[in-house]
This record gives sequence, C-alpha cells and structure tokens, in this order.
Amino acid sequence: MSNFLFYILASAIVILSLLAVSLPNLLHGAIALVGSFFATAAIYILLQLEFVALAQIALYVGGIVVFMLMIILLTNDLGVDDRLSRVSAGRQASKVLIVLGLLGALLVFFKSNSSPLLAESAQHAAAPVSIDAIGIRLLSTSNGFIVPFEVLSLLLLAALIGAVVLSRRENKKEDQQ
Amino acid sequence: MMPSAELYPVNNFIGDAVRSLFPPHVAAVINGLIALLSLMALVGSLGAVLIYLERKVSAHFQLRFGPMRVGPHGLLQALADGIKAIFKEILKPEGADTFIFFLAPLLPVSAAFLILAIIPFDHHLQVADPAGGVLYVLGVSGLSVLGILLAGWASNNKYSLLGAMRSGAQMVSFEISLALLMLLIVMLSGTASLRGIVLAQQGTIFDWWIFKLPFLGILAFIMYLVASTAELNRTPFDIAEAESELTGGFATEYSGIGFAMFFLGEFVNMFVSSCLVTTFFLGGFHAPLFGLPVIDPILSLIPGFICFFAKAFLIVFLYMWFRWTFPRVRVDQLMYLEWRIMLPANLLLLMLAGLFVAQGWAG
Repeated sequence: MSNFLFYILASAIVILSLLAVSLPNLLHGAIALVGSFFATAAIYILLQLEFVALAQIALYVGGIVVFMLMIILLTNDLGVDDRLSRVSAGRQASKVLIVLGLLGALLVFFKSNSSPLLAESAQHAAAPVSIDAIGIRLLSTSNGFIVPFEVLSLLLLAALIGAVVLSRRENKKEDQQ
Repeated sequence: MMPSAELYPVNNFIGDAVRSLFPPHVAAVINGLIALLSLMALVGSLGAVLIYLERKVSAHFQLRFGPMRVGPHGLLQALADGIKAIFKEILKPEGADTFIFFLAPLLPVSAAFLILAIIPFDHHLQVADPAGGVLYVLGVSGLSVLGILLAGWASNNKYSLLGAMRSGAQMVSFEISLALLMLLIVMLSGTASLRGIVLAQQGTIFDWWIFKLPFLGILAFIMYLVASTAELNRTPFDIAEAESELTGGFATEYSGIGFAMFFLGEFVNMFVSSCLVTTFFLGGFHAPLFGLPVIDPILSLIPGFICFFAKAFLIVFLYMWFRWTFPRVRVDQLMYLEWRIMLPANLLLLMLAGLFVAQGWAG
C-alpha cells in the first residue's frame, strides 16, 4: 500500500514541478509549486521523517511561497503579457536530450555503484527521528551542531541588518529630494 | 512497507472498536474516514453557531436584539443565510483568472480544517497528535494567507489587490509574534505536541501556563490574543477588509458560495485560534480546579470536551468583544505595533521565560 502511495506522490511531484517551471502564468506556476511542496512533505511523512515534513510545510508553503506570491503580485502587467518567450523546436529537442542523458547517466551510476541506501534492508534501517533528538543534537555542546547553528544565526542577523541599512539609505535620499 | 498500518492511530473507543472488527489496513482507512467526516460536521456546524453568535453578540453590544424572526430567537437564521448563499449566482468579473478565482475561497477553510485535526478536544478526542504539532499549526496557517493573496489578485480589482497586499503583510508580520509565543509555550512544556502541552498543565488552575509564571504568563496570553486577532484579520486589525475604505478588500468581487466560504473560513479560523489559546494557556481539556476540598471533586466530574469548548467559546466571546469595542487602526499603526512594540517585547519575554525555565522556577 505504501509503495502504491509512493508512486502516486512521486508522479504528482514530477507533474507539479514540471508545471511550476512550464506554465506561462507565474501565479499558476507558484500554485503548482505549493502542490509539489505538499507532495514532497507527504513523502517525508511516508518515510516517518515527521520533523522534515513539518519544516518543509512551515518554511516553504508558509514562508517562501507567500513571499514569492507577494513579489509576483507586486510585478506589473502580470495578467496582460504572461507568455514566456517562445522557444524554438531545436532548443526543445536539445532540452529533452539533456534530460534523457542525465537520466541515463544516473541509471548507469546507480547500476554500477551499489549504494547501501538502495538495498532491500535499508527500508527498515532508517529509524524515525524524533523532534527532541533533533533539538538536542542541534544545540548540545559535546556532540552537536551548536557551532554551525550559531554561525548560521550570525549570518542571518548580518543579512537582516544589511536589509535594514539598505532600505534606510534609500528613504533618506527620497527625503532629500 | 511501513512498520505500522496507522501513522497516527485513533486512540479512543471508536478506534479500538473499528480495529477489533476489521483487518488492520481496512481499519486504518475506516478510522481516517470517520475522523474526517466528524471534522467536516464540526466545521459545518461551527460555522452556523459562530455566525449566529457574532450577530447576537454584536446586537446586544449595540442594544438591539439581532436576528429574531427565523426560528426561536433567530436560531435558524444562519441556516437560511447558508441556503441563500448556495442558491445565489456566482459572478466572476471579466478578466479574472478562473482557476485561481475559484481555488482561493477554499484555502482558508482548508487551513482551519487541517488545524482542527490536531486539536486535543479531550483526552482521546484528537484525530492526530504529531510530535511537532506547533510547527504544523504554523505551517498550515500559511494556507489562509495564500488564499487571501490569491483571491485579491484573481479578482482583477484594485480594491481586492490592495486588501490582499495589506492582509498579506499583516499576517506575515504577526505570524512572527505568534511563532515566538508558541516557542515560549513549547519551552515551558518541554514538548511541541499539542496533547503534550495540555498534559504539562495538569493540576489546578494555577498550573495553567497563563497563571504559572508570575506576570509573564498573563502577559504572553494578552500578546497572543492581540497577535492572533491581527492574524485573523478581525477588527481592530481588519484593514484588509476595511469596508469603509476598500469596500470589502480581497472579498469584494466574491458572491454566493465563494463569499460564504471566505466568511465560513474566517469564523472557523477564529474558533481554531481560540482552541489554540485554550490549549496553550488555559489548560486545554483540564477542568478548572482551585485546590479546594469540596468543589474540586464535583468540577473534575465535568467531561473534558465540555471544559474545552467552554474555554474556547469564552475566547471567541473575547474576540467578538474586541471587534465591537475598538475602532480600526491604520496600516502604519499596525506595522508600528508589530515591529516596534510586539516583537522586541516578545523577544524580551522569551529571554525572561528562558531564565525562569533554566532556574527551575517554572514547571
């Protein structure tokens, strides 16, 4: 049953992702992207990676897509000229060739290199990771990721301050004019 | 194959009865269907009850009677309005995007529906209890922002777009405050599952998070109420709809069932928000015990879900009280409130609460 579910979800992800990059209307593309994020979260749930699934929904659907939508909405003339530039048949064919080549290369790679992740026994090897374990691992000083965590938060803080500084300067110039 | 047939098993007598009657895989499907159907019934009936309540509360605040004609005390008014909305013609403005125009009204209701699925109404009256419940709430509530933004754009109307942008900016800003307050609760409870948060508040009324921390709890409670009112787009923060400026904001072009869906979504989201307040601050399904010898045993006889609904409807009444008491704030005042007052206060509160937890003064 879960195999069946996986194939449904995987094909939904493929179709929605293709739609997200190929639909002529940007907003339709964004909605397809939301759908593909949800399907990806469902696959994480199937893998019992609850935290990853929830983080996926909270960050991508609740945060990033909303900001993308606001940017799209602020873009002028979205509904008037929403056709992407037309691509010639030769370019389309070369795209298909590149994708097929990549797929073939991946197939050859996984056929020749037996990964432990692809083995039959791997399905039960990955134990579900609890949120508590992730939090403890992330913040513990002995065997954790506290240093990368703090460095990342410093980086984000720097980005935030940078954004504030940039927007302030612009405002002052406007005031002087 | 998955190790268990059900990822989030239904742990009450109905779930057990279904499991004893059917083989595991079929039982999982049947349990899921029963849970979904009961949630649908809850959303449908809540909509009618809340709309009736809002009209009655507003009427009594303004020394009127409110709906009185349809049924005793106007009890069937919501039903009549619902039937009217269903049979009304749906108008789509010219140049509007058909797909998004009809998709958008569904999103706020589905967000409410999805969050109701993890609310612990009673000890075992909960559809699913993910360990990261708080994270789930934060993620799924993004759907209602999405619905409003899409509705505003798809209507092909300036008022709608303005309303949508205002509401998007507002909801995104106040979500930060909500997330920080939820983080505070998670820190106090030591768990992110909603059931775990309720169980952490077991005991008397003074073990609820609102009273547990001296002053901090009640401060957090008030801030949560303010931020969630803004998140719900209700007066005094309803600048997204603002009838007097934007003729209805994002819902301007909607009629018939499309508008009814937005209306329903707004009201059910209000109830969901009250449920979350009840869960986070008011001890969820625990009876309000005072530590007194005679009254406590009587109070603890009340079933948990009655306590839960009583607390939730008290918060709903508070939201309605806000709506009919305060005038609407301006956009810049709203943003000032969030970014200059609420957010620094939240961070300070979080640090103080962290100190309390680290020193072992709480919980």
